[in-house]
Amino acid sequence: MAEYTKPIPSPDPVSQPFWDGAKEGKLMLPRCSDCNRVHWYPRVICPFCHSMNIDWVEGTGRGTIHTFAVQHNRGLVARGWGDEVPYVTAYIDLAEGDRMLTVLKGVDPNDPESIEIGSAVQIEFEEASEDVHIPFWRPV
Amino acid sequence: MPGEASKAAAIIGAAEANDIGYPQAPKSSLTLHIEAINNVCEMTGIPIAAIDGIFSAGWSPQLAEYLGLHPKYIDTTSVGGCSFEMHVHHALAAIHAGVINVALVSHGEMGFSQRFTGGKGTGRPFGGGDPWDPGTQHTSAYGLGGAPTGYSHAMNRHMSRYGTTQEDFAEIAVVTREWATLNPRAVMYRKAGEGDLPALEQGEWGGGKRGHTFGGPITVDTVMNSRAISWPIKLLDVCLVTDHGGAVLITGPEIASTSKTPPVWIAGAGESISHWNMLEMNDFTETSAGRSAAAAYRMAGMGPEDMEMAMIYDSFTVTAGITAEMLGLAPAGEGPALWKDRHAAPGGRLPINTNGGGLSFNHSGMYGMQLLVEAYRQLSGTAEDGGFSGDPGKQTSARSCVVNGTGGTLSTTGTLVLTSD
Repeated sequence: MAEYTKPIPSPDPVSQPFWDGAKEGKLMLPRCSDCNRVHWYPRVICPFCHSMNIDWVEGTGRGTIHTFAVQHNRGLVARGWGDEVPYVTAYIDLAEGDRMLTVLKGVDPNDPESIEIGSAVQIEFEEASEDVHIPFWRPV
Repeated sequence: MPGEASKAAAIIGAAEANDIGYPQAPKSSLTLHIEAINNVCEMTGIPIAAIDGIFSAGWSPQLAEYLGLHPKYIDTTSVGGCSFEMHVHHALAAIHAGVINVALVSHGEMGFSQRFTGGKGTGRPFGGGDPWDPGTQHTSAYGLGGAPTGYSHAMNRHMSRYGTTQEDFAEIAVVTREWATLNPRAVMYRKAGEGDLPALEQGEWGGGKRGHTFGGPITVDTVMNSRAISWPIKLLDVCLVTDHGGAVLITGPEIASTSKTPPVWIAGAGESISHWNMLEMNDFTETSAGRSAAAAYRMAGMGPEDMEMAMIYDSFTVTAGITAEMLGLAPAGEGPALWKDRHAAPGGRLPINTNGGGLSFNHSGMYGMQLLVEAYRQLSGTAEDGGFSGDPGKQTSARSCVVNGTGGTLSTTGTLVLTSD
């Protein structure tokens, strides 16, 4: 595997089930056992009803583009990403509810008009290290 | 009916540091604070020793120590550029409650000079965020960094939802620049090499007073043709990065009547937050200014229709456009039209950002103090005849102003309703 040169997240005890799932190609999402709503990012308390009964469910990996932008300025983006400008960042509305940030794969950053807000996307995971596989999304 | 705290206190003076913008030599953030504090106390005739409450974005203990003060109220609220509007809110409450008599709100930030000092003098610790912090952990992989990389997502969502265009937002930059060309203190007052002062040489220190490569009047085409930063945000949709120091004093009516400068009353104040990391922003076309403004208008017993000018945080053109909607100054989706239709322009019915804004006057990283200083200068009449600093600058006869700061990534807001009487 080529060395991964971009930032690699540090899993913490609260988010570990998500990162464990990611290693198996599964989108694991925290869900409140009382109000049944999925939230993102992972918490020890439900941000909607404040229950502390949180379990984990496997999501569909489907979502839609809420909004996006094209990053052109290498000085403003994190180490490793500077070499990839222009690239497209996006917020994804998950089919299960709530929202994730990502980098969109399989789109043309030089033609932002061709990328449609509201269109369907699907998750995929990239192995950044043995322990951390990072979620990315691409149009269906 | 105004709320109980309405006009319980007034801003009795507002001043800046001796060098702002691109100064001739670097000064530490602390020095910028102290110069402004000294200037506001000289201006009002209130001695520094009378200050018994200190409000700043993280600096209050250092300021107290440096000045040898032992204040009764210490507030370090630091939630981005709106912190200073929140400080005014907190100072109003503390004075209304009878806890303190003289509140200092202070700001010092070497946004420009830190490039030359390697970060020394900023007062900020070195290093990035905590890797376990959820906002860091679940966003850092995607490389978002500087503020433009986030705000662009909100601009695109606004365009998608309301059919606004990049040209609509460019109008905000054009009109704001027009204000800056009336303000000799503004970094973008004129183009480098024009007028009586020479252009900067590459790598030469300073030069704010000598003009800027991109200074002077601009058009929508200038904005549209400026280089892409984070599509749909282009260079001229983005604020400046400068040095600034500023300070205001806030007191109750009794002490206000002893000041050498006129009071500007805090008729209403409110603050709110919608998220901290943009990942948690619910609606990308709305900010918490809707809530902070509702609280401020309610306390004032006034509404957006009563406002004769506005000072709106413009870190980006999109920040100003959306915020105008949240403040009730324009219908949803039509914020940029206030500028496009020239209501916000010199001679318009609702002057907005009369100093030239964060876009073209001065933006040090946090711009909330600059909003306060300009609102005070216009409403108090101290900008007339050159005002305190000897600079011209009276742009309007407005007697009421809504001031809105925005912090974080469209995250936090503080709204004030200020009046001349």
